[in-house]
Amino acid sequence: MNALQLFFLAGFGLAAVWFGWRVFRTHSMVRSAMSLLACMVALGAMFLVLQAEFLGVLQIMMMAAEMSIMAFFMMMFMMDPGGLGNMNMTHQQKPATALSAAVAALLLALLLSTNWPAPLAQVPTATQQNHDLGIELMTRSMMIFETAGTTILVAMIAAAATALVYPPQPD
Amino acid sequence: MALPICLSIAAVLFALGLYGVISQTNLVMIMMGVELMLAAAMLNLVAFWRLLHPHTYTLQMFVLVVMTVMALEAAVGFALATQRFRSRGSVEVEEAADLKEEGV
Repeated sequence: MNALQLFFLAGFGLAAVWFGWRVFRTHSMVRSAMSLLACMVALGAMFLVLQAEFLGVLQIMMMAAEMSIMAFFMMMFMMDPGGLGNMNMTHQQKPATALSAAVAALLLALLLSTNWPAPLAQVPTATQQNHDLGIELMTRSMMIFETAGTTILVAMIAAAATALVYPPQPD
Repeated sequence: MALPICLSIAAVLFALGLYGVISQTNLVMIMMGVELMLAAAMLNLVAFWRLLHPHTYTLQMFVLVVMTVMALEAAVGFALATQRFRSRGSVEVEEAADLKEEGV
């Protein structure tokens, strides 16, 4: 990877971390959802810098839809969606901070002390990637891919069944 | 250099998600923490694919599976939040203990 790619990789990564941090620091729930959307878009941009074009575009499109829905749910279910009342929705903050800092330190120590092999310089072009991924999904990994599709279907049925009012109420 | 950058960012994102899952009382905010942790896993997979095994598409396939898991987690989570809000008027998890059977 050249210096410009590394610069953009680190830049988008820092943006992702910053927005990820803002998700839990703002008092406005809608702003939280939008911060998570910005974090996911920064991650999608990192995928694009890493030349995974298909996954990068998919990530940005999927997360834009998902976080928009999340923002709607925030407005519906929050006592204070605008965050003007400065309400507190956290508990056990000290153990949470300590544990997450310890996990981050452990992971960073592990990955920085590992002797990673040298990265490969060349990757297939975007067209070749789409072709090869399609072949992979339809041949060797077909069962896993089909399982993912069935799981989505089960989740849709489970979500509809869970959210239904039972017994049905007359209009 | 690129691999440590990607993995460090993923590690920090994972820790941020963990902080959110443990410290938030609202069900939807907890789901946001889970999404951050899954996003960190996806970043690791893409970095390993691009920098170590660019001709092995299993890693890209696993990213698709993780995206599927994110979508179904959101779908079922929102359904639970909807039902919980209907029955109790709140999605605070600290109040979810009232669903517990008496005497347990």
